[in-house]
Amino acid sequence: MLTFVVLSVLMIVGAVGVITLKQPVHAALSLVATLLTLAVTYVTLQAHFLAAIQVIVYAGAIMVLFLFVIMLLNIQGDQPQPHFRWMQIVAYLTALLAAGAIAATAFLSPRELPNAELMSEALAGGGAAAIGEALFNDFVLAFQLVGVLLLTGIIGAVSLVQRKATQTAKDERELSGV
Amino acid sequence: MIDSLLITFLKALLLVLVLLGAFAYMTLIERRLLGRMQHRFGPNRVGPFGLLQPIADAIKSVFKEDIVVSAADKFVYFLAPFISITFALSAFGAIPAGPAGSFFGFNPWIVDLDIGLLYVFAATSMGVYGVFLAGWASNSKYSLLGSLRSSAQMISYEMGLGLSVLGLIMITGTLNLREIVDYQSGAYLLILLQPVAFVTFLISAIAEVNRTPFDLPEAEQEIVAGYLTEYSSIKWALFQMAEYVNMMTGAAFISTLFLGGWRGPRFLDAVVPGISEWPFIWLILKMAIFMFLFIWLRATLPRLRYDQLMRFGWIWLFELAMLSAIVTGAVIAFVL
Repeated sequence: MLTFVVLSVLMIVGAVGVITLKQPVHAALSLVATLLTLAVTYVTLQAHFLAAIQVIVYAGAIMVLFLFVIMLLNIQGDQPQPHFRWMQIVAYLTALLAAGAIAATAFLSPRELPNAELMSEALAGGGAAAIGEALFNDFVLAFQLVGVLLLTGIIGAVSLVQRKATQTAKDERELSGV
Repeated sequence: MIDSLLITFLKALLLVLVLLGAFAYMTLIERRLLGRMQHRFGPNRVGPFGLLQPIADAIKSVFKEDIVVSAADKFVYFLAPFISITFALSAFGAIPAGPAGSFFGFNPWIVDLDIGLLYVFAATSMGVYGVFLAGWASNSKYSLLGSLRSSAQMISYEMGLGLSVLGLIMITGTLNLREIVDYQSGAYLLILLQPVAFVTFLISAIAEVNRTPFDLPEAEQEIVAGYLTEYSSIKWALFQMAEYVNMMTGAAFISTLFLGGWRGPRFLDAVVPGISEWPFIWLILKMAIFMFLFIWLRATLPRLRYDQLMRFGWIWLFELAMLSAIVTGAVIAFVL
């Protein structure tokens, strides 16, 4: 229980850091800290597989790409953003609504806690086998749909950064001095 | 037998001390070997055969002036070397070095995780942050360029590592490093079953620890010393430590996955009964082979260009690793 409290406090501090720190790199690092604390929380729940995947995928890959973009664009923290001022109100409202919804689900309709013995049996061995079976039997359609979705995203991104073929050819001719 | 928390802690401390000691002497071995390969002597003045050189180096780097760039992001600048060394040291913990209870009655590993393989991946993938943040926090263009390059390289080749072990996991059916070693003693060494994956894994591992011919982060002709440019004194030494510890982890990881880990060749049992079950010695021997290979490569190969590195990774290495995994899966599904 104590570990859980310490971890949750750390996680909340990290999450607050993400939205309050002015320097984007610091904010991103704060998010990394939050994700790592979440991974540790998974470990305390015996979900080793989830914890490892959390670190490898989110902290190790996705956040590095975030930082990559921040550094490449050289975003500074103190730039004014007048175009987005109306967004603030919308953001506050959305956040309030979301917090309300989470609180309502958590407190108004308390779910029965799952059987601890069943849980630990399923998670024995770090959970890799259990997750694999669930993913590739019960949720195989959803799994493949997500795969297609990600592929669509990648193709979209590639086609967005692709320059027109004629343009490229022209540039190359200019570069080679013909 | 489950070790108590205190024992685990003490073993981890011991491992850290051993790894750091090994780091100190690896620098000497590397310099002597490079000297030999390049027809010169290498460091041989401090003590017999230069054996006290690492100690002299350590004293020097501790007492050197620690210069901090005034425009640096101080917090991240201090944090980066510690991230590097922490994750480098923690990755080694899951690798078993002998049979259960063989270390004075204790188990010769720090943690016996069912997802040991993923644990090593997770710890090494966090190591990218050290390099990445060092370059950014230094607030210098060469540092930033160096760190962008090296993190792109490390993320790319991490995928090569992951794809290479897919087939191996399919064959052994476990992510536990101890069980992977046991599987190899019951059946064949995995290098025989997965030769292509072994090659792609080895190449990716060399790229992952930033060794020649993939040491782009430190291409001194182009970007001075990359992310290390603005670091001096002990913080610089911490990055060096992390690099060597990563090399050792890589060597131990490859030995465990593909070469039977801590077990020795069985035919030697006919000469000395039980020698193949001796702890530590076989793992250290196998690691030494790979460490020698890393140094040998450094003395032999020129550095790749950045575009060559990326093209090689994405066009050749991944396809090969993927193909190997698909073929393995197909054989398991349809032939066996």
